[in-house]
Amino acid sequence: MSEPALLTVEKLEVVYHRAITAVQGISLSVRKGQIVAILGTNGAGKSTTLRAISGFLGIDDARVTDGSVTFNGKRIENRQPNEITRLGIALVPERDKVFPNLTVIENLTAPFAPAHYNRRDNEVLAYQFFPRLAELRSRTAGLLSGGERQMLALASALVCRPELLLVDELSLGLAPVVVQDLMARLVQIRHELGTTIVVVEQSAAAALNVADYGYVLENGRVVLDGEGARLRAHGDIQEFYLGQTSSSDRRSYRSVKQYRRSRRWYG
Amino acid sequence: MSRGMPRASGYFRTDYAQDLALTQTRLERASLLAFAVMLAAFPFLATAFYLDLACQVFLAAIGALSLMLLTGYAGQISLGHAGLLAAGAFTAGILFREFNAPFWVTLPAAAAVGALLGIVFGLPSLRLRGLYLAVSTLALHFVVVYLGGEYESKRGYSTGIMIDAPTIGGYAITNGRVWYFVLLVAAAATLLICINLLRSRTGRAWRAIRAHETVAEALGINIAAYKLLAFVISSAMAAVAGALFAYYRHFVSVEAFSLFLSIQYVAMIIVGGMGSLLGALLGAVFVTLFPYLIEAALQQLPNAQSYAGVLFAVNYAAFGVVMILFLLFEPLGLVGIWHRVQHYFLLWPFKHRPVAGAGK
Repeated sequence: MSEPALLTVEKLEVVYHRAITAVQGISLSVRKGQIVAILGTNGAGKSTTLRAISGFLGIDDARVTDGSVTFNGKRIENRQPNEITRLGIALVPERDKVFPNLTVIENLTAPFAPAHYNRRDNEVLAYQFFPRLAELRSRTAGLLSGGERQMLALASALVCRPELLLVDELSLGLAPVVVQDLMARLVQIRHELGTTIVVVEQSAAAALNVADYGYVLENGRVVLDGEGARLRAHGDIQEFYLGQTSSSDRRSYRSVKQYRRSRRWYG
Repeated sequence: MSRGMPRASGYFRTDYAQDLALTQTRLERASLLAFAVMLAAFPFLATAFYLDLACQVFLAAIGALSLMLLTGYAGQISLGHAGLLAAGAFTAGILFREFNAPFWVTLPAAAAVGALLGIVFGLPSLRLRGLYLAVSTLALHFVVVYLGGEYESKRGYSTGIMIDAPTIGGYAITNGRVWYFVLLVAAAATLLICINLLRSRTGRAWRAIRAHETVAEALGINIAAYKLLAFVISSAMAAVAGALFAYYRHFVSVEAFSLFLSIQYVAMIIVGGMGSLLGALLGAVFVTLFPYLIEAALQQLPNAQSYAGVLFAVNYAAFGVVMILFLLFEPLGLVGIWHRVQHYFLLWPFKHRPVAGAGK
């Protein structure tokens, strides 16, 4: 608990196309060795926050207009993605995360890896967590199943030897049993490599099972945060995200809180 | 290089050295040697006409390989290839005319000019993709050809620039057989450079960019730098091919570098098979020989003389038809056909390969 924050996001504001505010003053802090979950529905600002950290806003014509992202004491907002990766943050994107025209082994050797690691080191690292990939070594990545692709994507990100691993929608399109297994691998990665991990998830149950800390976003704001176990037990989370509700009508978290937006902001 | 599948049954790689070896099985080595012997024997058996065809193929191969690096591997579409060839040819021609420079000066100079132009051609790629990039390279093609034409008319070489044969130690290379070997070595050297580039970090970065720019960037690959590098290397190679072409023909003229030439190079890599160096070579052979094949076919028709007038048009039309047929029915190109044949014999006499991992 006394570990200093590895990543600090402060009052982050992100604007798309100079018109649409997707994130309005989000603050988070991730300590070394933690697994942190960022939860929320579609359009809550999870992926935008992740992109702001990893530097991918520019591609979608968005930029950080206010606030700061600090990693290891360095300000990194609005920097180039490959520069950020070299600083030690690796992103596993939501979709299209492997190079389909390259084989598994080529996927593992394509990423930027610090110079003192050779091919063998990278392969050993990948197979340490995903032994299945060793069997698929010379298969074209485009022929892998969804779960295998996710393994390959995680392994390629590890090859960059990140201090902080960002995983966008690990569960997207995967069977619950596969998601469970992959979440367990994240815990193993944290345990064996000491990597700090941030997962962005829609399926709160899977993420909160492994997360030490969680943030719930809605409409570009943090509406709830707390330790993983506490969030898991939280009534609203159970009702809204885990579907363990007694009444049949599911409402937005905000309407649960009888929150009324007095103003709408555009611009 | 993609080494997806072993080239022979029951052959497995057990260490990294085997992974990196250029040839992997005895059969591969034997067939490569046989091919080399064939290439070496060819000029002593062929007539001057076939010798010239072979030289054209080698020149086309260098150009096609360089375009394959850029388009087939790095995924950057370029319609300016003829412009780069022209730049190389004109660099050689101008340096020879103005300063009487020998070939060992003009060739590196052509490469340098190509590399510089590569940066210019490549800069739009940082912003543009696909069709837009193709159009921007097309524009640059016209700029280069225009400048070449201006030089020709201003200096009074309205029909083109004549270049003397390159001389090494007082010996001028004029003999067709010598040219054959010079161009063979140049093409082989280009091929080796390409193979090595593609097996390195650079090659993997290019293929990663072609697959998914975003993921490549997320994995720490500096996309802008590698894109520009692809343009620089490819353009330098193309310019050298252009300079060699100028020396081979003893003549440089803008007419030789029309837009049709660019299209032909794009056709080479499509017909040959995208994303394969072998494809570039096969495509170069095919596209270079195709007009001659059509001509030979027309000669076989009854009263061939009457078709002589339409030969040119038939050539163009047949070329277009073949391109469309390839795109429709064989998108993997000649190399796709070749791989199917290989796979058939890899398993022969069995029909299907076992499911991977079965029987474990």
